[in-house]
Amino acid sequence: MPSSDAVTTASPACAGDAELHDLFEHAPCGYLVAGPEGRIDRVNHTLADWLGVEPGRLAGRRFPELLSIAGKIYYETHFAPLLRMQGAFDEVALDLRSADGTVMPVLVNARERRDTDGRTLAIRITVMRARDRRRYEQELLEARRRADVATAEMRELAGTLETRVAEELAQRQEVENRLRQAQKMEAIGQLTGGVAHDFNNLLTVILGGLETIERQLASPAKDARARMERAVTMARHGAQRAATLTSRLLAFARRQPLQPRSTDASRLITGLADLLQRTLGATIALETVAGGGLWSAMADAGELENALVNLAVNARDAMPEGGRLTIETSNACLDEDYVASVPEPLSAGHYVLIAVSDTGHGMDQTVLQKAFEPFFTTKDVGKGTGLGLSQVYGFARQSGGHVRIYSEFGQGTTVKLYLPRCLDARSADPADPDLENPAPRGSETVLLVEDHADLLTYSATVLLELGYRVLAAPDAATGLALLQREPEVDLLFTDMVLPGGLDGRQLAEEARQRRPGLKVLYTSGYARNAILRDGRLDANVDLLPKPFTGQALARRIRAALDR
Amino acid sequence: MPDILTRHNVRISGRGTRTMVFAHGFGCDQNMWRWVAPAFEDRFRVVLFDHIGAGQSDLSAFDRERHGSLEGYAQDVVTLCRELDVRDGVFVGHSVSAMIGVLALRQAPELFSDMILVGPSPRYIDEPETGYIGGFSAEQIDELLDFLDSNHMGWSQNMAPVIMGNGDRPELAEELTNSFCRSDPEIARHFARTTFLSDNRADLDGLTARALVLQCMDDVIAPESVGRYVHDRLPGSHLVLMQATGHCPNLSAPAETVAAIDAFL
Repeated sequence: MPSSDAVTTASPACAGDAELHDLFEHAPCGYLVAGPEGRIDRVNHTLADWLGVEPGRLAGRRFPELLSIAGKIYYETHFAPLLRMQGAFDEVALDLRSADGTVMPVLVNARERRDTDGRTLAIRITVMRARDRRRYEQELLEARRRADVATAEMRELAGTLETRVAEELAQRQEVENRLRQAQKMEAIGQLTGGVAHDFNNLLTVILGGLETIERQLASPAKDARARMERAVTMARHGAQRAATLTSRLLAFARRQPLQPRSTDASRLITGLADLLQRTLGATIALETVAGGGLWSAMADAGELENALVNLAVNARDAMPEGGRLTIETSNACLDEDYVASVPEPLSAGHYVLIAVSDTGHGMDQTVLQKAFEPFFTTKDVGKGTGLGLSQVYGFARQSGGHVRIYSEFGQGTTVKLYLPRCLDARSADPADPDLENPAPRGSETVLLVEDHADLLTYSATVLLELGYRVLAAPDAATGLALLQREPEVDLLFTDMVLPGGLDGRQLAEEARQRRPGLKVLYTSGYARNAILRDGRLDANVDLLPKPFTGQALARRIRAALDR
Repeated sequence: MPDILTRHNVRISGRGTRTMVFAHGFGCDQNMWRWVAPAFEDRFRVVLFDHIGAGQSDLSAFDRERHGSLEGYAQDVVTLCRELDVRDGVFVGHSVSAMIGVLALRQAPELFSDMILVGPSPRYIDEPETGYIGGFSAEQIDELLDFLDSNHMGWSQNMAPVIMGNGDRPELAEELTNSFCRSDPEIARHFARTTFLSDNRADLDGLTARALVLQCMDDVIAPESVGRYVHDRLPGSHLVLMQATGHCPNLSAPAETVAAIDAFL
């Protein structure tokens, strides 16, 4: 039964029925008309041909029946409601099932034809074949899926990138650490050789003294007592130099505090001359020239001695054939122009100059430029540490001074050490009283805190012998308990490094809170930041460096009590 | 408006002491009721809403786990109705929402005393061993789900935003898709799976409310045998075999649908 509205609405004046009929049947798209209930009235030849059925056999069936199962369900649940509500739908992608079971991808447009009351009179449906387009869409969808996967992978990669960079950096850091450690081990190797060398010199001095004593005991000479006293002095000096060497090692580890005080450089040099001459050997003449009216220098005396020994050793090694070493002191004034020419920060003003000159082979420019670098050495392994000049440089810098080398290859070397002038005469370095005066005594109460049992016993014994009352404690807590119990405590003598949480400085602070005005003397083999202010001791902190003699202990205890 | 009402795009109209809640089925939204719901506004407080994932609901509230079973949708209905203080109301559920309403009533029996089930199906897949006819063979549902997994079912215009990724250009989808029954392809696929694999026959037992089953002719989604099954399993229920054809009498035959509901109420 032909649908009358399909024909009448498309009836141009010039077109005959036959032509229109042909257009309907053989249009290049499928066309079907359904009644208001969705049952098919008429299907054109094109669509029937695609489906492989006689056009008449489709009448009475519903359009969804031509679809695959998914299409059926979606048509009933999505497109039929849509068609009802908006009166049309366009470009709906569906799959038609043809008679032989093949699937035909199509795009479907639909229109409802309604009466004036909105009731459906008919449904018109056009069907376009869309195999290529649908395949293209599928490919795009597939590309989209791959892009999504790639994006997700990228996102994950970006997320882990930071971690991977961090891991990479940590690995590199680890490698660098290992390299540094290896370099350090190599340096330690050199250091060991050099220290052994230096120690041997000192042991020679000490053994020499002992041999002298032995000889004099076995067959005393006329002036045996005087000779033995000189030998004892020399041996003690050697041992003290050995202790200084230890402190030099600690300085290398940057844990040795400087104790700058007013120092008479000329007197110090005179006191050191004997040891220096022994170090230099018989082929080198030592000459000391003390400048008149020399100012006091503000410097750590021990480190200054150390620096002079280092310079003397260098000079000796520069003069294998012998020569002359001159140490002269003078006052110096560094002006703004000079200070400006120096790369490191330096104040203009008054300095005490100690110039150490040799007549050795000198240094060329290359060596000169590296002379102050730690471990730089021109000596064979076992002959020197390469730390000598770097110690001199470090000492000068830490003292607020300056060091400069003048050298001509083949002409010898002069090292000029500038130390700041000390304007505070009160802290003038007293002459070493150890050998001249008996140990000062006292009867005050000393609270002694030391975790090293032998040292605790030693110190307590020394102090008891000197007449002091001694309270001994192995740690800060015991020390504080004793302080709590004993009403009379005049001085706290404590090791800087203590076990159990409180170090010596914290112990002193705690003790002073309970006993304001309590006097304190520290001792330390080395000191950490707890005691350091820019590598120096606070002016009001008394420190007795380890190792110490009974004499030194007696003197420093007395001095601290009398402050 | 409380969050849940916004999430479900709830529309309230009409006046009356009793509330009539209309729930749309798979494939559309509350627009399904445009020619039915107004007929009850003079006697009932009429509530329309969109299931999460459909229409103008808050798509971000879609939870694949929660909405992986009809129970989850039923919980939404219960929460929604309690927010609106519905008691002894009328529930009108089309298609899969007929069973969602049954499940909601089991969770909260106080909500509804009348259940209108339009094209209900407690199970879509045939069960040869018991003789149950759901309308689809297991193979057909497998084919449907396979197809949905590998294709974007529906209108070709929807392809463009999907292919281009319309997340940052929602206006594109707005322009291209048809005005009604918009659905996110992923959510629609999930809803289809949840719906067509459901089996809630046992949940029909012991239903206390009055029940009306509206059954169309030639409904390929819920054939007449299924309507009769539901009717048989709900003692005291009314079954109306409508003149309307297809699955959506609320759209294709609104007058007949309204009349049937009216007669029942």
